[in-house]
Amino acid sequence: MELLIGLLVIAGLIAVAIWLYIANQGDAEFEFQVNQATAFEVVDSNETAITLKCKVPFVNKGTQDGTMMDCYTRHLLPYEQYDGVIVNSRLELESAPRSDGYFEAIIIPKKTGQTIVITVQLTARHGDIRQALAQMVDMPIDIVYQVVARSDWYITKTRLVMKAADVVRAAGLVTGTR
Amino acid sequence: MADLELVPVPTRILTDKDNIVDIIEQYAKDKVGPNDVISVAESVVAITQGRITRPEDLKPGLLARVMCRFVPQKGSLSSVYGMQAAMNMEGEWRFFFAMVVGLLAKIVGKNGVFYELAGEQAALIDDVTGTMPPFDKHIVYGPKEPERVAQEIKERLGCYGATVADVNDLKRSRIVGTSDGLKPDLLARILIDNPFGNASQKTPIVIIKNYAQAQAQTLG
Repeated sequence: MELLIGLLVIAGLIAVAIWLYIANQGDAEFEFQVNQATAFEVVDSNETAITLKCKVPFVNKGTQDGTMMDCYTRHLLPYEQYDGVIVNSRLELESAPRSDGYFEAIIIPKKTGQTIVITVQLTARHGDIRQALAQMVDMPIDIVYQVVARSDWYITKTRLVMKAADVVRAAGLVTGTR
Repeated sequence: MADLELVPVPTRILTDKDNIVDIIEQYAKDKVGPNDVISVAESVVAITQGRITRPEDLKPGLLARVMCRFVPQKGSLSSVYGMQAAMNMEGEWRFFFAMVVGLLAKIVGKNGVFYELAGEQAALIDDVTGTMPPFDKHIVYGPKEPERVAQEIKERLGCYGATVADVNDLKRSRIVGTSDGLKPDLLARILIDNPFGNASQKTPIVIIKNYAQAQAQTLG
C-alpha cells in the first residue's frame, strides 16, 4: 500500500513539474498594432474608382515562435448603411508582396514582427467616385488571422477603421462626409 | 573523364493528381543519359502520393500536447499538429517511449536517440510552412515506398539510377530511398548544397550528370 501511494505521489509530482514547465514555456501571441497603422494613401484612381493602401505592423509578443497560417481582410460596409460604392479589399506582407490575395503561411519568431499592406478599392456603384466618396461613411475592416503554434490553432481578428474623412482627404476632396 | 554536374529541372506545381514517374518522364526525359542519376525531392513525392494533411483535420491528444513542448522550436514536431500527425503514422506509444528514452539519453550526452527510435516519419515530416503554396498550409508526411519509386524512375527513364532525397539549406542531406546499386553516402554528399533550392516544389527534380563515373571513381 505504501509503495502504491509512493508511486502515485511521484506521478503527481512529475505531472505538476510538466505542467509548470509548459506554463513557463508559454506560447506565441500575435498582436496587430492598428494604432500604429499608417494613413490610407491613394495609389490609383480614375473617374469611377479609387485604390488606397495603408500599412499595419504586427508582432509576436509571445514566448514561442508561431506560424501565421492565414491572414485576410474582411471589410464591413452593408448596403443598408451605404450603397454608393462597391468595396474590394486584400492584404499582403510588405516583405513578400503578391497581388493574388493568397497569404503564404509564415513563421514569426518570438519577439519579432512584420508589416502587412492593406489595399482597398472603392468603385462607385453609380458612376462618379468623387460623388460617391462625398457621402462615404467610416468602414470597419477586420484583419482576420489564423495562428498555429504550440497549442490548438485558432482564428481571431483585429479591427481597423477606415475613416471616411481620411479617405476624402487622401483623395484630395474637400466635400464633407456624413 | 566527364565532370559531375547538377541540373535542376523546373516543373509546374505538382499535386496528388500527378504521378511522379510520369512527371519526371515528361520534364526530364530529354535531359537524362545512361550515366546519370535522377534525384527527386521527398516532399514532392509524398505530395503526389497524397500523403498530406491539414491541422484542421487533426485532433491532438494529451500526449501530443505534452510531447511537442519538449521539441526545439525549429523542428516540425514542435507544433502540436506536427507531433500528432507523426504520431498517427508511427504510433502514439512508440513516440512516447522514444521521447522518454531520448530525453534520458540526452541527459547522458547522447543526441538523436529519439529520431532513431520514433520511426522515419519523425525525421521526414514537414510541418506547415515546410513547402511552397498551395501546400504551405499542409503537413506533409514522408513518401511511401521511396525505393520502389526510385526503381520505377530508373526503369522508365533508362538512366543509371534514381534517388528520393530530403535536402535543405541547413546542410542536411538525407537519402530516403534509391534504386539498386547506388551509394547513399555519395549521393548525400553530392546533394548537400541543396540544388533543389528553397522552392523545391518548382524544381523537384535534379539530374546528377555523370554520376556513374563518380561512383566508379570512389569505388576504384
